[in-house]
Amino acid sequence: MLDNINFLLIREIVSSVLIIIGVVFMTISTIGLLRFPDFYIRMSAITKGATLGLGLILTGMGIYFNEPDMFLKVMLIIGFTFLTSPVAAHVIGRTAVRNKIPFWERTNLEEFKDYLHKEHSAHRDHERDNKQV
Amino acid sequence: MKTFIIHFLIAFIGSYLYFKYGDPMLPYNAFWAVVVAVFIMFVLWLTTPFYHRTYFHKLPRALNFIAYFLKELVVANLRVAYDILTPNYRMKPAVVAVPLSVTTDLEITLLANIITLTPGSLMIDISADRKLLYMHTLYVKDNDLESVKYHIKHGFERRLMQLTR
Amino acid sequence: MSLFSFTLIFAMASLSLCLVMTGIRFAIGPTLPDRITAFDLFVANIIGMVAIYTEFTGNEDFIDVGIILSLFGFLGSISFAYYLMKSTR
Repeated sequence: MLDNINFLLIREIVSSVLIIIGVVFMTISTIGLLRFPDFYIRMSAITKGATLGLGLILTGMGIYFNEPDMFLKVMLIIGFTFLTSPVAAHVIGRTAVRNKIPFWERTNLEEFKDYLHKEHSAHRDHERDNKQV
Repeated sequence: MKTFIIHFLIAFIGSYLYFKYGDPMLPYNAFWAVVVAVFIMFVLWLTTPFYHRTYFHKLPRALNFIAYFLKELVVANLRVAYDILTPNYRMKPAVVAVPLSVTTDLEITLLANIITLTPGSLMIDISADRKLLYMHTLYVKDNDLESVKYHIKHGFERRLMQLTR
Repeated sequence: MSLFSFTLIFAMASLSLCLVMTGIRFAIGPTLPDRITAFDLFVANIIGMVAIYTEFTGNEDFIDVGIILSLFGFLGSISFAYYLMKSTR
């Protein structure tokens, strides 16, 4: 009974569906990168959509090739991307806060005022120290 | 936690070696590879009561945590996608200070990575005394910051503490 | 032309469009962190394109490019952010 099934066709269909879903996610993320009003909103919404889309595309490719080596390499790339993408997002976000990149005007910043005040005044002290030296 | 990672690596490499160098009776494809890896993990899980007693109870909770995280990931992605494709913005962003209950380095790193990986929320920094976690979030319903904190603390942090303690 | 190769061509064209739009953000981005974010998305797009190209030609060696690119993209964005943090202090 197993001989009657066309395995190549099944693999192609599964791979196509995964690739199309992944590409749609990536396109939506890129449109969001152009449309959103503020750096932090772009950052928090975009990087993760791209990561999920990339994971889906790579999984589709691994299923199409159907070899152990290929699946291992695909899993390596997916694991590495999912591990490093939050770290990069966090580092860039903190750098932006320290560089006084403005927030969107509708952002609710009540609980963040103390931190912002401390960070920015620390900058001023540091600059003053440098001048004295 | 450490045992889980070691078992996962053993299962992954075991499945790879079985299909690469073994003499498999099954035809190779992704479905059977995943089935073999899960089978190896299940056998390893049955042996754990002899040397690591608590792990035996923790694995179902870990699976529950992974399922919850995947559900959150897909739901949040679809919400952000809806907001991108429709002309008006529905979002109300805010920066929330979440009080932390977890203390060790590993737990804080895991929590921060999971929060950042969910779309619509971005972790900015941790206060110097490690009590507060500043998080930029979209979608605050009618200026109710407490509900966002409740969602983080009872969704992710409680499940994470059940795993690592 | 089968449905499968049509899917691959569609995916390739759509990813190229993504690359152009990311380039627009890279050009007009008001601040430097915006450009670093656009660079991150560049790398993700190009890994996707390499994957689809691998599937298109059937040559398995191209996927190694993806591994190297994922490593170097992370290094690039991290070092840009670090440099930015140091330069303002």
